Amino acid sequence: MAGNAIVVENIEKFFPPALSGWRAFFSPFARPTFRALAAISLQVAPGESFAIVGANGAGKSTLLRILTTLLLPTRGRATVDGCDVVRDPAAARRALGFHSGADAGFHPRLTAAQNLRFYATLRDLTSRQIEARISATASLLGLSEALPRQVRTLSSGTVQRLSLARAVIHSPRVLLLDEPTRSLDPLAAAEFRSFLRKDLISHDGATLLFASHSLAEVESLADRVALFDAGHLLFCGTPAEMRRAVGAQSLEEAMSLLIAHALNAREA
Amino acid sequence: MRLLTKLLAFFRRDFAIQSSYRSAFVLELAETLFAAASFYYLSKFIDGPAIQAALPAGRSYFAFALVGVAFFDYMNVALNAFDQALEEARRTGTLEALLVTDTSLPVILAGSAIYPFVYESVRTGIYLVWGVLLFRFPVSQANWPGALVVLLASILAFAGLGILSASYLLLFMRGNPAKWLLLGASGVLGGMMYPISVLPPALQVLSRLLPVTYSLEGLRAALLDGAGFAALWPSISALAVFALVLLPLSFVAFSWSLRRTKINGTLSHS
Repeated sequence: MAGNAIVVENIEKFFPPALSGWRAFFSPFARPTFRALAAISLQVAPGESFAIVGANGAGKSTLLRILTTLLLPTRGRATVDGCDVVRDPAAARRALGFHSGADAGFHPRLTAAQNLRFYATLRDLTSRQIEARISATASLLGLSEALPRQVRTLSSGTVQRLSLARAVIHSPRVLLLDEPTRSLDPLAAAEFRSFLRKDLISHDGATLLFASHSLAEVESLADRVALFDAGHLLFCGTPAEMRRAVGAQSLEEAMSLLIAHALNAREA
Repeated sequence: MRLLTKLLAFFRRDFAIQSSYRSAFVLELAETLFAAASFYYLSKFIDGPAIQAALPAGRSYFAFALVGVAFFDYMNVALNAFDQALEEARRTGTLEALLVTDTSLPVILAGSAIYPFVYESVRTGIYLVWGVLLFRFPVSQANWPGALVVLLASILAFAGLGILSASYLLLFMRGNPAKWLLLGASGVLGGMMYPISVLPPALQVLSRLLPVTYSLEGLRAALLDGAGFAALWPSISALAVFALVLLPLSFVAFSWSLRRTKINGTLSHS
């Protein structure tokens, strides 16, 4: 456990049921009964690129949000860069960068540069560091021309790149990305993957944990992959190991077979 | 230093956002002028022996009402600033982005409230400037340091109420009905437009439970009568008690609400 960049130990997460009307008014006090994660355990080594795959509702984003301290686990323990996400959330947040996958999360009437400056200041960068990092990150992500423009005038893909820039602007030791290339065109997505692999992981030694629906992205970027299904961890290993485990030709086929086996096992 | 830099970053952010609505500030300036003019001409119309008898000696109704209206808005701002900052952050999706930085919750709350309070102070200053320049608002004997202390104590007391309201909004994802009740009661019982001595005795007792009553009393005494710190002490101490009770309580309530939203997964819901 010691020395891992990310440790997840028997994490379980239950949500309260979605209620409506007067019952919804008291929903903050409803018993959490819907299980989103079931005793998940995994470790990610420093400098490793680790992918989480699975269908919608599998629990990928829930795990990422627990690691970012935006959600509290119901049971279990998790650390980011050695910091417990429940007991010492501020230290965990200092170590991480997070991209939620949404093309939102910015002040629409501020320029892209003003938005980045604001969040970089909250990350304790000095003015000189902020300008240098904005310039470098914008250049790497093709955002230079967008910097002086108000965010409300930017395309969805550009806002997503801006969100990625915000996630990496303070050179985090651990990077958590939820569907990082969802709104990017294929060229921009390939450039971003190259940026992650060459600059952040190989050069800076950062650790990457990302959730993705793009299995091609997982093949090209991930050292290891975890397959989630209905909150359960079905498989954890290299992409090649995942294919071999079920004798599949592709990750897509392996994923389908593993989920089908799990479904059969649950029904049996 | 880091704290100041972060607080300044919030102020700069909000100033830049508001500056992007260029005409709004000019219109607000005009609105303060119209409001000051309305109270001046209203006071000329209604100022009579009955009103003079209800006001402390030497005060005009215009000066009384202008201070009441100008400074009552601080309560409005306090009760709405935190709610609006939270709603805006949820609407734009910036709440999660803020909460994954290593910025503590009190700093986020304080930072989000700086601009609204500074803006309100500018607006109040403009009210008074219009009053002095155009309508003979009396400031010759004002105790400005005393007024500033009363104002700071008022802001701290009101901020506690505002954070409590934001805690409710965070948890239930809808506006706090108690906020509107408090604003309504403060408007009626707080002595904004008339001295509380004209209220029935039972309502006068209720008015003593509202921080805005002490705030307006202290500010009028400092600005209109030039009262010294000894005379202002009852108002300042009452406001300090409100602040000492409400601020810690509000931080506990907000932290608890935030924890509940992290358990329920409703942090970014709106």
